[in-house]
Amino acid sequence: MNNHQTRNRICYAVFSLLIILAGYTIENPYYIQVLTFIGINTLLALGLNMLMGYAGQISLGHAAFFGIGAYGTAILTVHYNLSPWLALPAAIAAAMIVAYIVGIPTLKLSGYYLGMGTLGFGMIVNILFREWSSVTGGASGFIGIPTLELGPVSFSSGRNYFFLVWGFVLTSFIICQRIIDSRIGRALRAIHDGEKAASAVGVDTRKLKLQVFVLSAAFSALAGFLYAHLVFFISPGTFSFIASIRMVTMVVIGGMASIWGSLLGASLLTLLPEWLHAFSEFEMVVYGLILMIVMIFLPRGLTRGLLDIYERANKKNDH
Amino acid sequence: MTTELPLLEIKTVFKAFGGVQALSDITFSLNPGSITGLIGPNGAGKTTLFNLISGVFPVDKGKIVFSGTGIKNKKPHTLVDIGISRTFQNVELFESMTVLENILVGQHTRTRCGMWGSILRFPWVAGEEKKAHQFAMELLDFVGLNGHADKTSGDLPFGWQRLLEIARALASRPKLLLLDEPAAGLNIVETMQLGDLIKKIREQGVTVLLVEHDMSLTMEISDWIVVLDQGEKIAQGTPRTVQADEKVIAAYLGTAGKKTED
Repeated sequence: MNNHQTRNRICYAVFSLLIILAGYTIENPYYIQVLTFIGINTLLALGLNMLMGYAGQISLGHAAFFGIGAYGTAILTVHYNLSPWLALPAAIAAAMIVAYIVGIPTLKLSGYYLGMGTLGFGMIVNILFREWSSVTGGASGFIGIPTLELGPVSFSSGRNYFFLVWGFVLTSFIICQRIIDSRIGRALRAIHDGEKAASAVGVDTRKLKLQVFVLSAAFSALAGFLYAHLVFFISPGTFSFIASIRMVTMVVIGGMASIWGSLLGASLLTLLPEWLHAFSEFEMVVYGLILMIVMIFLPRGLTRGLLDIYERANKKNDH
Repeated sequence: MTTELPLLEIKTVFKAFGGVQALSDITFSLNPGSITGLIGPNGAGKTTLFNLISGVFPVDKGKIVFSGTGIKNKKPHTLVDIGISRTFQNVELFESMTVLENILVGQHTRTRCGMWGSILRFPWVAGEEKKAHQFAMELLDFVGLNGHADKTSGDLPFGWQRLLEIARALASRPKLLLLDEPAAGLNIVETMQLGDLIKKIREQGVTVLLVEHDMSLTMEISDWIVVLDQGEKIAQGTPRTVQADEKVIAAYLGTAGKKTED
């Protein structure tokens, strides 16, 4: 247990150092921008991983919470002239309340049915973004989202925004790590392994599933907030069904029930399209092919898969 | 035995699934600190009764009273909180988790740290964790699994998984422990050790209700036997009287009535 904690501390210290190092040494604004997107996607994957990877509950509608975060801050800052720093907690709270209300009936479902339920929810919210034109700008999108500023610091530069996003990522990693290593985290994993047994040892499975659903919605909304103030323009397409599937893919490819897997999955799914521009019209084909190959050869995701390969290599050396 | 208030009372309980009457008019009670064996042929309704007592299904008619309070409409997790704990016929461990973690989850109702407690790591949380670890280690020692705390529970041999499941059920400090066929799949030596363990559990003041097909084990360790057949209680009494009961012999062996030896 203590070993585990020391190892975690070292991991997070190295991770923080890497963030600082990357932020100060990388000059190319394009790279900084890509890394910032990786950070936002990592938040999305991390939140969903808490729900899917740890508690074993699938959601095919999480882009809705991503969208509520983005549209929430857009509406509050532009229509109501609210400071973004007040819009942030408001947008997160909105996503959490929606998750709570939707979660009560939906989380009674399991397996495919939960998938369908959340899918439907995601689509309804997306239609709302698209059709409620007077508030959301409709299909043509929402323009004029303000730049983030904090006192004298403006987050208009790529480097500052990079630090802001990765600061949130680091904090979120630590929050999730602490939950996982606690009584609550153990109960979540117990639900994953067997819901019947979990309730037979005293875990209020309904309440806990709802709690983690609300928590994962909060992370998605945070990502939505950061996305909106990075690109200043949002449209419903970004928060569609495809976005929900991308989030699930990030979790599965990176590694279920793994915090670092969220980072790996988000990195791969952000970088692949950038690298694959060279294939122009064949981009999607190659993209799909790579995902298929990863899943065939590393079915437990990149993190677990790479660890397995490493362990196997070690065993070979021993003999 | 002195006349104490019973720990658990089953009062004229009925339960049907669709058109099938799984249990009808079942009445019996458990004295505190006793081991009661619930026996009967396949389909007698033993597991159904277990599921009613542990809150998996509601009772159709009748009442189940635990420690003086009715358990109607109480969810399984609440019943664990008030002192009823159980194991499963097919062993339901949290297989991806370690032996230690399984027992820590077993203490869920006896620990308090919530979402905020875990994120903010209040000072008392560390103390609670430490105590939980200590108790988990004591329990592993108690069931004879010391030294295996960090193994993945799904990798344990089957007999040890049984022991771990019992340890996990004890982790909630129950007053009543329901064991659903704990000897199923165990060899003779393991079954004997299990019998000793169940007696040791009773010595800790825990009342035990046991569904079991292994007659020699049930008859040896139980103070009281309740016999079900086709959803009805056909006999109850000490192991000796039940074994001599003609209805029981008929239910098990058909009307041929070959008498089992002690």
